[in-house]
Amino acid sequence: MQRLSDLHPDMSCERLKKIRECFLMLVVDILVIGAGPAGSSAAKHAALNGAEVLIIDKKSEIGAPKRCAEGVSKEGLSELGIEPNPRWITKELSGVRMVSPNGTDVILDEDKVKLPEAGYILERKVFDKFMAMDAARAGAQIMVKTLATGLERDGDRVIVSAEHMDHDFEIQAKIIIAADGPESRVGRWAGLKTGTKPKNMESCAQFEMVNVEMAEPDCIEFYFGSVAPGGYAWIFPKGDDIANVGLGILNTLTEKTAYQHLLEFVDKNPATQNAQPVELNIGGDPVGGVIKDLVTDNVLVVGDAAGMVNPLTGGGITSGMIGGRIAGEIAARAIKNESWSAKDLKDYKKRCQDEVGQSFKKYLKAKEYLLNLSDEELDSIAEAFQKTDFDVINTSELIKKLIKVSPKALLKLGKIF
Amino acid sequence: MIVKEWCMYCGECAGVCPRNLIEVRELSLRFKEEGCKDCQICIQICPVNALKK
Repeated sequence: MQRLSDLHPDMSCERLKKIRECFLMLVVDILVIGAGPAGSSAAKHAALNGAEVLIIDKKSEIGAPKRCAEGVSKEGLSELGIEPNPRWITKELSGVRMVSPNGTDVILDEDKVKLPEAGYILERKVFDKFMAMDAARAGAQIMVKTLATGLERDGDRVIVSAEHMDHDFEIQAKIIIAADGPESRVGRWAGLKTGTKPKNMESCAQFEMVNVEMAEPDCIEFYFGSVAPGGYAWIFPKGDDIANVGLGILNTLTEKTAYQHLLEFVDKNPATQNAQPVELNIGGDPVGGVIKDLVTDNVLVVGDAAGMVNPLTGGGITSGMIGGRIAGEIAARAIKNESWSAKDLKDYKKRCQDEVGQSFKKYLKAKEYLLNLSDEELDSIAEAFQKTDFDVINTSELIKKLIKVSPKALLKLGKIF
Repeated sequence: MIVKEWCMYCGECAGVCPRNLIEVRELSLRFKEEGCKDCQICIQICPVNALKK
């Protein structure tokens, strides 16, 4: 069998010829399936820790089309040791504007209230490529337009069937890191329950628009209530008069599609009366929290495929990348120790629960609470908070104020904050 | 399953398919029809109404 390392370092046509010649079977330590931020993070950290890593992605262009509103927190990037780069940041934000169904708004200054996904707006098509480039610079190899079509075990190894252009071939790996997004098929091939129930799959639609006239152009905006049943609508500024205008809904709560809700939102929102779309994005967002079993023999699941998405905001870039980093480190350690059973990989689950999952439990409760509020209740809460000085309020005072206007908050939130 | 021309291959249908029967390619969808139990969850969840039985 041909080792992948034999194909290196020549990147010329000769390399392509060699790939074609040995396409029957590639052999690697770690195969990462999916080159989103979580997959690239996993590949980077596995390679940095000495493993031989191959990333495959079914798309011809990493990062395109985007499936997200592109918000990311400054803390998240900092925690990952990623320096903000003007080539992939379109806008730095100063706050969050939250709008209730009757238009009452509450503005939170980013310096006073730390909120997830409220630091920068990215250009995902560039960001995702940069993260993949980081992985490549760390030593990972990348194959684009390469689709995983199946998985089977072979002793203590895994064989993944794959397609690249008109070639069918196999990849033998000691460890698979499944970063295949909300589709999450790879984990299920390995016997993990990574499928998403419809009640936990936020269905999203978004336009990137021009001529958007935002009330607070330095804030991200969230719109709550029946405008987006089971979720929220958003306007995320990307500089000048450009913004991502989108929403996420739960199909279990509405007869309309996400796209139909988006058209209505754009039709009615004051900021988009003169706006024109230049791009349409759609996709699912698994918001049920981190899945219970993240590992099995030879396999770890990361990112959206593992439910590493904030259940309240739907944001999952930095949480997925943190999960990827942990997966990469643990997978590389397993390679060094020459043992990659579920037992050898189980630290991944614990570290993910500690670093990602715990906070998500709170957000899941908060989301359940928000979903139970009527438009009128949301308006009352917004009106109560509109007069609040967030400079002097702490979390318990915030909850007390919330309970005063919404007794449901006591039942749903009282014990978790 | 009929996949309408305006399908955007986002993969949401694949994520909720309880039998993992939908393969999402860059510009096409493939269904393993033989294992389908006709639950139609994929049709209901599609953000752009692109699937039809």
